[in-house]
Amino acid sequence: MTIVAIVRNASIALFALGIAGGGTVMAAVAGDHGSAPRTDRPELSLGRSEQFDFDPPEPGSYSLPIIKDAGDGDVLTADGRSRRLRDVLAGRISLVSFIYTSCADPAACPLASGVLYRIKAVSKQDPLLAENLRLVTFSFDPERDTPTVMASYGKGLAPDVDGAEWIFLTTAGPAALQPILADYGQRVDRKRDPDDPLGPLAHLVRVFLVDRGGRLRNIYSFDQLDPRLVLTDVRTLLLEEAAVAAGK
Amino acid sequence: MHSPRFLLATSGSICLAVALALAPASARADETCQSPYLPKITGQEEFVYVWTLGVEGLGDGEDKLVTIDARPGSKTYGKVVHTASVGGRFEAHHGGFNDDRSQLWLGGLDTSEIFVFDVRTDPGRPRLVKTIRDFTRASGGVVGPHGIYALPGRLLISGLSNDRDHGGRTALVEYSNEGKHIATHWNPTSDKPFGAARGEVADGYGYDVRVLPRKNVMLSSSFTGWSNYMMDFGKMLQDPEAMKRFGQTVVLWNLHTRQPREVFQVPGAPLEIRWALGPTHDYAFTAAALTSKLWLVHVDRDEKWHATAVADIGDPEQIPLPVDISISADDRLLWVTTFMDGKARAFDISDPFHPRQTYEKEIGRQLNMVSQSWDGARVYFTSSLLANWDKKGDDNEQFLKAYAWNGKELDQAFAVDFNAEKLGRPHLMRFGSASLYR
Repeated sequence: MTIVAIVRNASIALFALGIAGGGTVMAAVAGDHGSAPRTDRPELSLGRSEQFDFDPPEPGSYSLPIIKDAGDGDVLTADGRSRRLRDVLAGRISLVSFIYTSCADPAACPLASGVLYRIKAVSKQDPLLAENLRLVTFSFDPERDTPTVMASYGKGLAPDVDGAEWIFLTTAGPAALQPILADYGQRVDRKRDPDDPLGPLAHLVRVFLVDRGGRLRNIYSFDQLDPRLVLTDVRTLLLEEAAVAAGK
Repeated sequence: MHSPRFLLATSGSICLAVALALAPASARADETCQSPYLPKITGQEEFVYVWTLGVEGLGDGEDKLVTIDARPGSKTYGKVVHTASVGGRFEAHHGGFNDDRSQLWLGGLDTSEIFVFDVRTDPGRPRLVKTIRDFTRASGGVVGPHGIYALPGRLLISGLSNDRDHGGRTALVEYSNEGKHIATHWNPTSDKPFGAARGEVADGYGYDVRVLPRKNVMLSSSFTGWSNYMMDFGKMLQDPEAMKRFGQTVVLWNLHTRQPREVFQVPGAPLEIRWALGPTHDYAFTAAALTSKLWLVHVDRDEKWHATAVADIGDPEQIPLPVDISISADDRLLWVTTFMDGKARAFDISDPFHPRQTYEKEIGRQLNMVSQSWDGARVYFTSSLLANWDKKGDDNEQFLKAYAWNGKELDQAFAVDFNAEKLGRPHLMRFGSASLYR
């Protein structure tokens, strides 16, 4: 795959949400949907949509039970360094999205990357998110998605360092990848038709919320990838941390 | 008619979504009444899995998962191709797939075991891979794992009872796909409404649970506790106190927070819940077993939710006992099965506020579950309600019957006699196919 194609597929993520160039995201965050922006929850300015026709709950008004420990394993960062996944995720609340860069189905990987793009845009408006949230895009196609490819994909989505950190990971190969996928419960199948124009892999769209202690606290499907809802969960974890720190 | 694109996007969202959306609707064949998070079968269902109660002295006498070949043209079409017994009788009843459809979880209502089958490795030969035996302890006292419903990475299990009084107060229980207890959400009661509006009518009973993600809501319904569902049916009918112990409510929950929002009075044990499938159809049906009424749960323009009785099912005076409902993919037809008269009834629900019966057929002397294919062309029925509630003697027919539906008439395609085959009492059906995994 050429770098041009990779950048094109990163752009699909933005077009999938109608946010090519990112201007719409910023406009939405600034309150173009008619509601007054809330400085404590700028994501609410994104407003409802046909797919997410509800108002998200108040952060901290509910709990996020621990589902299980997040998986660990050897990964490669976009600059080619070998690290343990758990070390990469340490220190921040993380949103981990498994994708592959040649996926051209706008309802799958591009959508997940597009949602992370929106979340990063929101995080630029909120220092709390910028300092505490990390976005992780992790390829399950290591044969194609080398560190170089992931770096190019990342440049298309996260060209600047403002807002939440966004890192792009892959693995050295299937042997390193499979235990991580199994631990997370991310199913990936090879399609029967290798020439499928939408790409060679079939998978469920899943994004995982990992707390600062390395535990899975929520799992989002296509039907739940509402940036407002995801960030409500992040804020709920931040409130939980604050309560623990205060000894409550 | 809803768009095929939407259906696929909300049903597991696999990367094949666009390609499949281009396929004609008739090419898709999965059940209509499952979790929206599941990947869907895109061709003819290949197998029907039947969770079957064991009968003492019949075959091995154990509860078992029976697999029936549903592939037209197959040498074994309409035949039992595999059985997997689970080591005893546990009051096999309901269950469901996990979110990637690799496993089928099946519950026992008596002693609260959950049996986990691998249906991915060899879909024609499901294999028992795990038995969860500490459900009641892990959940904090919930008895009778009933509906098992896939959420991303986990399963939501609606209980029927509790270990304190074996009555109807119960909870929704979450398990990870790996079989670990995550959380227990007790149903609201009048003394503990957990913030639900109209909590004063809450009875805490449980039965089914179903979600509508785009409105961030889920609904739960209510049946009865262990002390009733394990009692002899005739004896229970003669016990006025026992007959008071049936659920009378439907609860609207916040799906994301799992907190109850509002309680609706729906008398007479509302059982199965079926959300409409159209992208703007924000309503669900349920059928109250004891009052034989069809109810609509719907939202108005002010975002207030309502539960409204919209039709009688048969003659309520005769207590036909509606036990299952199945909605068509285009939200135009609702199949209703009634246990006592053994009939399947088709209701035109194009106007959900005014359902109209358009067809009925007696399937057998007793009738229970119904599952239809996505294109509506195939309809499957089973006969058993509960071990102690099924009819006696010659009326105790036990079968799975498959029919073709042409919009006007049910024509039988095949039948399996579960008594003659020494299998037991067939209840829940789920569809399987190797095409999901290859």
